[in-house]
Amino acid sequence: MYSPNEHPPTDQLAENNLQPFFVLHKASKSSESSAVMSPGKPRKRRLDSSPKVSLNSESMKENLKMEVFPYVWSKIESNIKDVLRSINADVFDEIGRWVCESFNEICSCRGPVDPSKSTLPYPFVQNGGLVKKLFTALVFTKNIETVDDILTFSELGLNLKSRGCYVVNISSLDFSTKNGIGGCLRAFLRQLLMVDIEAADVSLLASWYSDHGKYEKPVVVIIEDMERCSGALLSDFIKMLSEWSVKIPIILIAGVATSTDAPANVLTSRALQYLSTSMFFLKSPAERMDAIIEAVLVKNCAGFSVGHKVATFLRNYFLRQDGTVTSFVRALKMALVQQLSTEPLSFVLKILVDEGDNKRSWYEDLANLPEEVINHAFELPSYRTYSVNRNNHAELNAMSLDQGLSELQRLQELWRSRLMCLHEAGRYHKVALLDLYLEALDPELYNSRLSNHGCDNAKDKSLLSDSDKLFRLQKAEVTNQVIRKIRDLPAAKLSQLLKSWEGLTRGTVEVHEKIMELQSQMVSGDVKSHKAELTDKSNNLQCYNLCNRRHINRHRLNMEKDACTSNDKAMTLAGQTIRDTMQPIECMPFHELICFKDVDNLQSALVGDPRRRIQIDLLNFYKILKCGCCSNSGGTLSPSMHDTSIMYTLAQEHGDLINLHDLFQSFKASISSSEKKGLKKLASPKKRKDNTHSQNNSDACFQARFCSAVMELQITGLLRMPSKRRPDYVQRVAFGV
Amino acid sequence: MDVDEIDEEEFGFSRNYFLAKELGSSRKKSARKLSEIDLVDEEELRQVAANIEPKHEKEVKHLISSYESSYSNWLFALRCGFALLMYGFGSKKALMEDFATKSLTEYSVVVVNGYLQSINLKQVVITLAELLWDQLKLGRKTPSGSLCKSQQPFNTRSMSYLLTFLDKPDLEVEDCFVCILVHNIDGPGLRDSDSQQCLARIASCSHVRMVASIDHVNAPLLWDKKMVHTQFDWYWCHVPTFAPYKVETKFFPFILAHGGSAQSVKTASIVLQSLTPNAQNVFKVLAEHQLAHPDEEGMPTNNLYSTCRERFLVSSQVTLNSHLTEFKDHELIKTKRNSDGQDCLCIPLTNEALQKLIAEII
Repeated sequence: MYSPNEHPPTDQLAENNLQPFFVLHKASKSSESSAVMSPGKPRKRRLDSSPKVSLNSESMKENLKMEVFPYVWSKIESNIKDVLRSINADVFDEIGRWVCESFNEICSCRGPVDPSKSTLPYPFVQNGGLVKKLFTALVFTKNIETVDDILTFSELGLNLKSRGCYVVNISSLDFSTKNGIGGCLRAFLRQLLMVDIEAADVSLLASWYSDHGKYEKPVVVIIEDMERCSGALLSDFIKMLSEWSVKIPIILIAGVATSTDAPANVLTSRALQYLSTSMFFLKSPAERMDAIIEAVLVKNCAGFSVGHKVATFLRNYFLRQDGTVTSFVRALKMALVQQLSTEPLSFVLKILVDEGDNKRSWYEDLANLPEEVINHAFELPSYRTYSVNRNNHAELNAMSLDQGLSELQRLQELWRSRLMCLHEAGRYHKVALLDLYLEALDPELYNSRLSNHGCDNAKDKSLLSDSDKLFRLQKAEVTNQVIRKIRDLPAAKLSQLLKSWEGLTRGTVEVHEKIMELQSQMVSGDVKSHKAELTDKSNNLQCYNLCNRRHINRHRLNMEKDACTSNDKAMTLAGQTIRDTMQPIECMPFHELICFKDVDNLQSALVGDPRRRIQIDLLNFYKILKCGCCSNSGGTLSPSMHDTSIMYTLAQEHGDLINLHDLFQSFKASISSSEKKGLKKLASPKKRKDNTHSQNNSDACFQARFCSAVMELQITGLLRMPSKRRPDYVQRVAFGV
Repeated sequence: MDVDEIDEEEFGFSRNYFLAKELGSSRKKSARKLSEIDLVDEEELRQVAANIEPKHEKEVKHLISSYESSYSNWLFALRCGFALLMYGFGSKKALMEDFATKSLTEYSVVVVNGYLQSINLKQVVITLAELLWDQLKLGRKTPSGSLCKSQQPFNTRSMSYLLTFLDKPDLEVEDCFVCILVHNIDGPGLRDSDSQQCLARIASCSHVRMVASIDHVNAPLLWDKKMVHTQFDWYWCHVPTFAPYKVETKFFPFILAHGGSAQSVKTASIVLQSLTPNAQNVFKVLAEHQLAHPDEEGMPTNNLYSTCRERFLVSSQVTLNSHLTEFKDHELIKTKRNSDGQDCLCIPLTNEALQKLIAEII
């Protein structure tokens, strides 16, 4: 591996291998080229490519990537944080109010403060009896994965701090039986007093609290995941806090993942008595996911987007495998990293972010780029198909790239507004944005929709019903459903929907006008019906005969018909605009620059599957090594194969227990089969004893190779060593790839 | 469509499992013993094993050097805040160190050999902190107040202080970190949950980047989701090398030597020969009894005493006990309780091994 001049001396290497750890090398003086950037605060506003340096130089590419990544990612990350913060804002407010109320209640039963006694528990109580109640908020996370709530609870802590509380965040790790109650107290004191004390005691806290005249502020203890704490320890902790609850007004906030009976399951009944609980509910992961999708991928805060396959993978990974928003965010970050590594021109993302901030043309930036980079853009498959379809022979220069990118943005803007319109309509039926988003991204769906539309025009329209004409594709189930259900919306909701559409389509004049038209129709309809109702009422008062009743009924029917027609119109409008203008990003020219599509790469970096992959490595090793000798064997064992591969293939033929003797014999037979071709496979043991030294030597060689192969399988965990009970058997661990 | 795939996969797995179980029970289990193989001496075995001629040497070399094209991507992922996790069959030690020497020159690198039995992570963290300190000094042109404060040496600081230092968000230089290279993060010395928690905390520090390797197929079970998603933040790299696990298996017992009787007979005879003839004879009485009664739990202590007294090997229970203590210390005998509640003595060796042993000490 090492080239000769940097090869460390062998004995030093051998020595290093036996050290628990060693310093491989120290940092060399960092070169000036390393991009030093702080996220969010770009040192330079513009791409620094003014001197026409070739982008092919590796270091230049590296620097560009490193410059763009923190810039784009910090934008996305802060957006996600904002979204999560705003989703929790209501609950946080509620909790904040509750903390104030609880604190006031504690204060009301506390008598005048005597600092000299403040370090003893059970204090001065004014009105009747000892107050041992501990005010506790149970915050239901609706999420078994506590990972997602780490951020939520730290945000809650910050929120309460800003309201003037002392806040301590304790995790379930601090409540381990190994550290005992001292462990959680230490964590407690470390955060409040900013000291690390070995002999932690509550009286320290009490004197700190009274010393600083902090009587006007409560101390809030946040435990993120109550159910993971050791029950006995948490009970003790609660008991201890309740003894001090008046001296130090402590308020407890505990995250609960499952149901209301969780505290009863975790705590002792004694500890339960001390609690005076209130309940609060956070939003579910699916709701958070929708909000993040909307903010990051649909509204496209940083210009970065993902292809249909990637989005489908992310959705499935979220719904079926991992279930955490955190991992989704991680995957997004990984996608951005991979996009920047594979597509050299994707640094245009930075310009996109810039543009979002202060609208300006990016022509200047593009004009400074070397020619080959510009040409690279015009060789992208998306542009090629585009130019072939349109018979486009535009000049290939920075100007046209600039135009292309602007067009890309315009189309994306259209797509975004249509999707949001759909989402608004779907809200009434609780359709998840995620599902709509996936369908809206599907390029196949879009293409077949277009071709279907062509067919429809050609055919006799009367043969097809309206809804059929809208979408004949079964695949676009969710989109179809949402559009169909517009027909069933009551008038009030429909006008609400139209109003939101009006806001969303402000960019496109044509659609916007149609919506306005529909709205005005509805309003006039409303006025009519209002008038009709008035006349109905007066008629009712005047005469109450059959004829008039018929009249009323007819009026109502007319009104319903009106409503129906406006619902139908809205539906048709939605279908039409979606068909005409909702173009998925993968159908747009130049999308490769900002859209990540390599789902396989992402998947392998995000979810390593060692169990499967290591077994496949062993079984199909010749595909990886690409050696000529073993690939022809076609599944049978040949002695040229890697020893451990032979061993693993042999092990496949056994049950869960493998007799070592048998395994050794078959291993020996398969590695020596070529040498003894034509001869009998095994010489009799007696004869072998008389054999020469060389035979002995090869015996040692077989055994040594057998041992190393077993050891290598042991390292991979695919074989378990013999137990004392069964000294002659090894155990197979994995069954099936 | 996907659901079907998953179902099929699960079905395949369970089918394979039960097939394997069935195979184990239905086919007459082979009862052949390891001792039937003519085993080579362990020392010789180790020597030969160290010099096994590797297969496909050229291809392996080519494969490993083909990963060099990914170095820049790996470095980029590291700089973006991910930790690299290398997996796939074959030793990845040389590959990772090569990556570090070629691509991580701007950062200090500490290598942890996880395949060793005991690793002091506190020492590792101290070294990391010292290296970061040096790196900060190096990168700084004009010394500023916060860094030039006289520092207490790191090795007297607590773990939490060190980790806070490594995680300082307010250091002005952003792309400044030290690298920790952990070979076999699933190795025997790091497999316990405390070490993994500690490693996770190290990996989550903003000025530390981790490159680690795993070899065990179940290694991901060491981590919970919090560790995986928020602390380690793994970027998986599938890099099978098929290079021999030479260093990693250095301390593994040889299966053909460890369980084999040859080794234990040898050590037992060495121990016995260092004892007095009387003690040897007491052991022989016990061994003969065990050979004569292979089905019993062992020899009851008072039977042993009476036999030994008859043969004038011991004069009192006290002398016998001193011999027995000696045997126990060298793990030559074990005590068991039989069905009558008597304490029985037995020698933890197979009958063949025992016969060899007796033949050797006469």
